[in-house]
Amino acid sequence: MSFTPLLQRLLAALSCLPGVGQKTAQRMALHLLEKDRDGGRTLVEALDEALNGIGLCERCRMFAENSVCPICATERRDKSILCVVETPADVIAIEDSASYSGVYFVLLGRLSPLDGIGPEELGVEILEHRLSGGEIRELILATSATVEGEATAAFIAGLAHSHNVPATRIAHGVPVGGELEYVDSGTLSRAIGARTSFEG
Amino acid sequence: MTMPSHVDMQPAFILHARAWRESSQILEVFCRDHGRIGVVARGARRARSRWAGHLRAFLPLSMSWSGRGGLCTLRSAEPTARSLEVTGMRLMAGFYLNELIMKFLERGDAHPELFAWYVQTLEQLAQDHDTEAVLRRFEVTLLREVGYGLNLTHDAVDHQPLDPEQTYQFVIEQGAVPVGAGQSGQLVFSGADILAIGSGVYSDQRKLHSAKRLLRVVLDHYLGGRPLKTRQVLASMRRCV
Repeated sequence: MSFTPLLQRLLAALSCLPGVGQKTAQRMALHLLEKDRDGGRTLVEALDEALNGIGLCERCRMFAENSVCPICATERRDKSILCVVETPADVIAIEDSASYSGVYFVLLGRLSPLDGIGPEELGVEILEHRLSGGEIRELILATSATVEGEATAAFIAGLAHSHNVPATRIAHGVPVGGELEYVDSGTLSRAIGARTSFEG
Repeated sequence: MTMPSHVDMQPAFILHARAWRESSQILEVFCRDHGRIGVVARGARRARSRWAGHLRAFLPLSMSWSGRGGLCTLRSAEPTARSLEVTGMRLMAGFYLNELIMKFLERGDAHPELFAWYVQTLEQLAQDHDTEAVLRRFEVTLLREVGYGLNLTHDAVDHQPLDPEQTYQFVIEQGAVPVGAGQSGQLVFSGADILAIGSGVYSDQRKLHSAKRLLRVVLDHYLGGRPLKTRQVLASMRRCV
């Protein structure tokens, strides 16, 4: 089936989204054109405003509409604890857990030496600036449990150490509600290695 | 050797993984009998992937795959031992080894001896060995295995054993050429230093420094201008800390 040039362009543009292939793009495009042109216009406006209006927080590199994101701007957050994560999605996950009241730093990636991704790409200069400010008394390393995540954690721990800021690493272990026999061996060996004293 | 279309239970390590499509990964794998290969792990990035936590570098794996040439399809990957506990900044040395293998080995060329040496090198990195010495020994072995072996025992001119007291100029693709004692230059070394690089036994920091100087030039020569990304990243990390 040959589409008109405008439709072809729309299909190609929609395919840039994760999870959207040719078939889904076609369904989306036809739906907007056939049944919901107003919805389409709202989408265009929202997308345009978001792309123009959302930048990065100058303190933590989380998405922000002003120079500082809502988390960094809130008085109630404990500014002396800094949690370093890889992506904005990690911030959302930790916020959803409602277990943390400090602030964040988003690397927007992780060290990946074989891909040539080093400290410059992770905004380390901004992080160093915050560490040298003397406000932070604990840095929590919440990078992923992959080898690249571990290398990133080790590097940032070194950075924190050079500014005399104690660094901690989030625990790795058995998921809550998980049964031991279904936990993979790597996680289980970490969980056993990092066991804590039981205060019942 | 042509690779069969089904390979079962092959001792292997993942050198590098990169995201592919929605939920899969393309793995660069170094295995014992088929060298470096490219394997697709379908669904590896899903939360409930059947490979759960197994597809990571420095973990000794037993892998099975189908297909030959180009990209193969991963069928199974089981850890055969606990991960070699390469941790912290030593991971950078591990990444460097992996990049060397990816740059120097052609896909599909078997190097079982280098594989054994790689395992041993990772074990040493996991223990408290001097990282620099471990890396230099690996570089010398790698060059030998891929056909760029250095002559680190004999004089390149009259083929006599190297004299530890003599000064030599190391000429790439030839070897050690004796020069006057007062000579200096990037590739001028004492016989004792060159012998140390050949034996892999570094009794002092000067010998280790000489090894780094020589091997860096030799590796760069054979890489033909292709940069080592891990080396660049490490340099910018050092600038930060």
